[in-house]
Amino acid sequence: MLTEVLNAFFLFSVVVITAYLIRHYIFTVTVLKSAQKSQPATTSPSDYTPSVTVLIPAHNEEHVIGALLQKMSELNYPKSKIEILAIDDASTDKTGAIADTYAKRYSQIKVLHRGRDIGGCGKPAALNQAIKQAMGEIIIVFDADYIPHPDVVRRLVSVFIDPTVGAVQGRPVVLNEPENIVTRLNSLERIGGYKIDEQARDLLRLIPQFGGTVGGFRKSIIQELGGFDEAMITEDTDLTFTIALSGYRIRYADDAECYEEAVASWSAYWRQRQRWAKGHMQVCLKYWHRVLRSKHLTFRQKVDGMLLLNVYFMPLLTLVSLGIGAYLIVTGSILSSSLWLVAPTSVYSFVGNYAPFFEIGVGAYLDGRRQIQWLAPLLIFSFILNTLICGKAFLSLIVDKALRRRSVWVKTEHTGTANSYIQKQTEPKTDAGI
Amino acid sequence: MLCLVLAYRHLNIESSITLTVFNLFFISLFYQLSGGLTRKASILACGNIIGLVWNYVFQNVANTGSMVFGISFNVFFSVIYPLLTLTWIVPFWSLSLSILPKPPSNVRPPA
Repeated sequence: MLTEVLNAFFLFSVVVITAYLIRHYIFTVTVLKSAQKSQPATTSPSDYTPSVTVLIPAHNEEHVIGALLQKMSELNYPKSKIEILAIDDASTDKTGAIADTYAKRYSQIKVLHRGRDIGGCGKPAALNQAIKQAMGEIIIVFDADYIPHPDVVRRLVSVFIDPTVGAVQGRPVVLNEPENIVTRLNSLERIGGYKIDEQARDLLRLIPQFGGTVGGFRKSIIQELGGFDEAMITEDTDLTFTIALSGYRIRYADDAECYEEAVASWSAYWRQRQRWAKGHMQVCLKYWHRVLRSKHLTFRQKVDGMLLLNVYFMPLLTLVSLGIGAYLIVTGSILSSSLWLVAPTSVYSFVGNYAPFFEIGVGAYLDGRRQIQWLAPLLIFSFILNTLICGKAFLSLIVDKALRRRSVWVKTEHTGTANSYIQKQTEPKTDAGI
Repeated sequence: MLCLVLAYRHLNIESSITLTVFNLFFISLFYQLSGGLTRKASILACGNIIGLVWNYVFQNVANTGSMVFGISFNVFFSVIYPLLTLTWIVPFWSLSLSILPKPPSNVRPPA
């Protein structure tokens, strides 16, 4: 009986792992074909300029918020149609004071101060309060550590000329990539995730993920849907599926670029990815049945939606299935030894945040990056780390569910060291420092 | 093709499948990248030779190990085979991409 159950589980794992591999292969081929055809950029600055509110949630971001607000004042978007709303979310440092300084200097910048009685409990709550007083019909969100191009808002907003579009995601690019090995591997993962994954989902009309920063949505939709769910610790993923299930399209704008400060230590990486993994799993439990039953999603969108929802379970599933397969081989009771032959192909997924190395490699290639390719083999270590992260996140989620307690939103600390790389960038980013 | 046949006849079926999948991915993805056909064909041939040699070496390690430690070594080898495959495919793929001519970069510096 046990053997039959294990064989069935192993077969199921093989099918799922193969499905992910095929999915990523299709994504890579799709983006490559698109690049070959020299298709025009997903978005381009246009004359479509609706009213926009840029929200910048900031809790203790004194090291970075000044640089962002300065760049916000330099956006080439009509000043009469844009407001920049910095949300000082119960900060205990100089974040609020710095934001006030910029608000006095530039009329389009405003500051919302949230007191410690209601603030400091996560980004979703801060955004919900700010949305209530936002004037723009399009809301764009930036995290405080970002450095945008002057035309990023134009490029993000241009997709909304299509009334079926509910949200848009731009492209974060790691600015402090040369800092150390953590930032470089981070950059590689970002390249695969955005240049290939998100781009392909947009080209194939699947569900690109709204990443919570360098992205935006229609204010009317978020109000209609009741705002962000403050119980979710990845409010961006939650919003992605809320919008998709409501019948709106989510677009990805590859040329709406914005530089970000990536985490620069393994401990910070662990904390950040822990929140992503746990939050993503939360969203999966909330939405998987809605995705399957949705009348607004096509079959392809449902398949990809399910694969997207379950992605953070995959490192665990892969290792468990390898363990079970090994046990079945040792006991000589594997249903079919040919199933074990899939193991060599599953290795293609053993890098980084469960993305095949060929996807990351092609993404870096399309970005014109050469030397960073040499770091790809090191992603196996971040895959091992991500597996541990997903395991802990899963256990933590189970404990929270069992104890019926709310998951805690853990903030990523920013030091502002990435800002020093702005002065060093005088030409298109290549393999700086590698 | 020669390497696939050699792998199937003289090594094991896992090696053949690994090389087959490697070739499928390589041909279907690399073909679309910039660079001359000769360069790509050369890289592909190198990859197959490296894969064949790699599998040959580890096949011998497995055979020797099973003679010394018994059948359990074969099982152990089967379990770690995917990771052994990773150690040649990923670096080779990365190195190959790095020696192709690069397309224009579209990542713009912050203004």
